[in-house]
Amino acid sequence: MEAHSGPVYRHSIAARATHWLWFVAILVLVTSGLQIFNAAPYLDASDKSNPARRVLSFDSEQGPRGPVGVTTVFGHHFRTTGFLGYTDDGMGQQEERAFPGWITLPNYQDLADGRRWHIFFAWMLVIAWTTYVISAAIRGDLKDLIARPSDFVKALPMQLYYLKLRRDPPEHGKYNPLQKITYTGVLFVLVPLIILTGLALSPGVDAIARPLTAVFGGRQFARLWHFTFMAMLIMYFGVHMFFVITTRPVQNIKSMITGWYRLGEHDGVGP
Amino acid sequence: MKRGLFLASLGLTGCGYHLGNKLTETTWIHNALGVVQPLDHRIIGTRGMAKLYTEAAIDRDFRTNGFNPPTTPEYARWATDDFRGYRLIVNGMVDRPQAYTLAELRAIPQITQITRHDCVEGWSAIGKWSGPRLADVLAMAMPQHGARYAVFHCMDTTDDMSLYYESLDLHEAAHPQTVLALKLNDAQLDPAHGAPVRLRVPTQLGYKSAKWVRRIELVASFSAIGDGKGGYWEDNGYEWYAGI
Repeated sequence: MEAHSGPVYRHSIAARATHWLWFVAILVLVTSGLQIFNAAPYLDASDKSNPARRVLSFDSEQGPRGPVGVTTVFGHHFRTTGFLGYTDDGMGQQEERAFPGWITLPNYQDLADGRRWHIFFAWMLVIAWTTYVISAAIRGDLKDLIARPSDFVKALPMQLYYLKLRRDPPEHGKYNPLQKITYTGVLFVLVPLIILTGLALSPGVDAIARPLTAVFGGRQFARLWHFTFMAMLIMYFGVHMFFVITTRPVQNIKSMITGWYRLGEHDGVGP
Repeated sequence: MKRGLFLASLGLTGCGYHLGNKLTETTWIHNALGVVQPLDHRIIGTRGMAKLYTEAAIDRDFRTNGFNPPTTPEYARWATDDFRGYRLIVNGMVDRPQAYTLAELRAIPQITQITRHDCVEGWSAIGKWSGPRLADVLAMAMPQHGARYAVFHCMDTTDDMSLYYESLDLHEAAHPQTVLALKLNDAQLDPAHGAPVRLRVPTQLGYKSAKWVRRIELVASFSAIGDGKGGYWEDNGYEWYAGI
């Protein structure tokens, strides 16, 4: 690939604005979501609460040297004292609590306020998603973004390039095959699933759209899916941040603010 | 690099640690976060019907939560006598205030439905509830034009020593699945589950389904009741519309 210099206009104003709205919305939704989760720190693969079908739970029990936190995943117990199960109460003490105060919004246990943040920013997520998809469709940017069968063929060579086992990336457009597959998956599969599972666990939505809750296996199962998809989104966020920082951090961040990106030898290998 | 990233993200969370609390406690932000509620209510409306379950799905040991059963001498006396002395009062903006005995409530056509109770905390349980439709109970009192809400005054004492209360608008009150339950799982309601009369609103979260209902008051506005938010939990920050 030929090295260029000089700036190119890479991100439209709508893409940049919604990008930062995504960021804030996801930050608030994850932290307030963990706050809400703490009120019933277990997930059941069932329509109603059912300990026999419990997949994940966080508990506190009395150990020989004080309380311990126990995380149970598919029946396997792990000691997670200080981090999960028995942890930071958000006010400088330790208490029986699933997720620690430093990762919940607000820090102290407050389901009502967690829900206020969550339900408001759920709308922000929907607004960010809709605005981005419509603007990208109008501008023709979705063509560059949506993965096609050929991208799956090129995924392996691209991975080899990332692993430095191949000198050049396979030929591609604005985004490389792995980026396209990831972005398509996050934008059109993961985020919609997060929104739908969130809706599915609401009794009012269940009453007007019963097939939606049923598809996910019922209310408690929808809660399990909602949590699982959140965890997947956080994994994506980790990978995304890894590439922002390891490719061209200044250019990456600058272009997501101003829109302009100076091309360089790593063009096409981005976040 | 990964370690650096991890520490950086920890640092970022650290910056937001107190910021989140501060923002939550800022009055205008707190109020602004609530603006989506009427929108949610409008979109979801009252046309939905909660899922009905089969007998096999029933939780025989239905979870209890919320506040403790009433401890007044009056309640204790009623409880020893199958609540024969109890009356369910319907008053406020009605033409014919009522004071129903349990026998009178049982004489109204009874609905039996097996529905899921979704707690705001995130758990659910399934029970079989029987009793008259709220709509029928209110209709006999002849609500006046201008009445918009039914307020449920209960007998249980809350954390702040007030009596529990809740409210529904009259559209929600008229929902065919909104029931004044007298029975749970084929038995008379026991004190732990709200005896002798509790509300069941299966299309909304559990805190709407007030237990130990003493009086239903029809009002044009609930702003003068409690802290004016329409219910004990609403006064403590929870949404008045509890369908989400």
